[in-house]
Amino acid sequence: MCGETLHCDEIFVTDMSNNVGMRAVHLMLLLVCCCTSAQAGATLDRVTRKGVVTDVLIDTYPPFAFIDADNQLAGFDVDVARAFAAKLGVKLVLDTPSWDTIVTGHWQGRWDICICSMTPTDERARVLDFPVQYYSSPAVLVVHRDEPHIKTIADISGKRVGVGLGSSYENYLNHSLVIRGAPPPPAPFQDVIAIPGDETVNFRNLALGPGVRLDAIIASLSTAKAATAAMPALKVVGPILFAESNAVATEKGDPEWNATVVRIFAALRADGTLAKISQHWLGLDVTADGH
Amino acid sequence: MATDGKRYFRQQVWVTWIFLAALLACGCWELHLDFAYVAQKLPFLLGVRRAPDGFLQGAALTLFVTAVACVFALGVALVTAMGRLSRNPIAFAFATFYASLFRGTPLLVQVLIIYLALPQLGIVLGALTSGLLALSLNYGAYLAETIRSGVMAVPAVQREAALALGLSPWVTTSRVVAPQALRLIIPPAGALVVSMLKDSSLVSIMGLWELNFLAQSYARTSFHYMEMLLAAALIYWVLSIVFEIVQARLERRFGRGVALLAKG
Repeated sequence: MCGETLHCDEIFVTDMSNNVGMRAVHLMLLLVCCCTSAQAGATLDRVTRKGVVTDVLIDTYPPFAFIDADNQLAGFDVDVARAFAAKLGVKLVLDTPSWDTIVTGHWQGRWDICICSMTPTDERARVLDFPVQYYSSPAVLVVHRDEPHIKTIADISGKRVGVGLGSSYENYLNHSLVIRGAPPPPAPFQDVIAIPGDETVNFRNLALGPGVRLDAIIASLSTAKAATAAMPALKVVGPILFAESNAVATEKGDPEWNATVVRIFAALRADGTLAKISQHWLGLDVTADGH
Repeated sequence: MATDGKRYFRQQVWVTWIFLAALLACGCWELHLDFAYVAQKLPFLLGVRRAPDGFLQGAALTLFVTAVACVFALGVALVTAMGRLSRNPIAFAFATFYASLFRGTPLLVQVLIIYLALPQLGIVLGALTSGLLALSLNYGAYLAETIRSGVMAVPAVQREAALALGLSPWVTTSRVVAPQALRLIIPPAGALVVSMLKDSSLVSIMGLWELNFLAQSYARTSFHYMEMLLAAALIYWVLSIVFEIVQARLERRFGRGVALLAKG
């Protein structure tokens, strides 16, 4: 093919095209290998066989997971994942696809576990298993310092409220949040305009001024504290909206893997590892009442 | 006189470019950007160091994705263009169907179908494979049309004359049609490569740590949006300029015949 694209130096050209062809074939083979390596199978089998656990998390969710100054993934969730892999005696691999690719389930063996601050909602439980709740951080309302009207959650009717795309807070605004094993949280508001997006982008948008792009944000107390510390223009108002547990998620349908996850997390809780990681990143222990 | 005019034109172009670049730089300076932060993140954005998983990252990964996807796209495009120019109705139908499908749907949707929807059928591709596949198939369709139009634009009499002179079909294609077609193909094909360089940022949604992914990730967690997005934009721009220079050289190379004709 390449031969017909040049009209002189034919010997050189043929040589080149062979080279390029060979390289293309090599790459093709490489890609085929990549494709076929992921096969459906029990998660525990795969983890034991490979000696690797692939954990999926969000790279823009400080202080739980973010890319630090040394370009490494760091944060509460990352340290918990490291402790988990170490306790299990396998190597840890981290992957950072977008949130909506994680919560929609059907991982098909791509990932083994999600230690990624996920709220175990009924909706998600249809596509994912939640073997362990590893910390809880209540939901709160965040507004701009100069916000004149919004004092409590009842004041957000008709307002534009930022929430993480596909987050439990988005469900909360739509009156469709059902946390497993808990009564539906009170939601005394109507016609809220939910603005789903990246949480850190939302905080940034709210800091532009009250009502400029957003009127308020609903987020977890832990991320809200990190955001208000970084942006003094923001503040938390009103009481806690609802207690929210955050769970470890796994691909549906591997009870043995889920039992392993439960066992490892019980050990990490018992030896104080979870509490230590929580103290380090959040300055308090949010892992105490998770179970 | 003509060369003086040309030199004047070129000088004016350079002066205006430098003026505009200085204006842009001043504008950026006025934003009071945190240059120390940019300097700290620049090696990662450029990808001079490996990612934590040992693979390429930043601009290096962007270039890798673009280069590999270009090679595959070229292969796909040549086959499709041949089908498009073929007298065989089945080959023609396959080629037009494929080109229509991939030119008529957004690249982002194609990326998501390959990465997220295919696993539903049990086909689980890695992030890199999915990205390369989507980019190759999408740009292959566009490039096929570019190649086809280039070949069609060569007057039929050229082929007829070559055959009348007793040249073999292969020599006619490779020495008569191809050089003339390439002159027409290279400018739009170069534009496609530059376009692919930028569209490779779409693979960031699958968690590949390429230039756009890193810039956004740093920006979101540190709130240095202006710094990181401008830095990423500047790197993409510089890479595009390099590609454009290569394209201009190729254009000149394959435009020699016509340039000679014009001189008379």
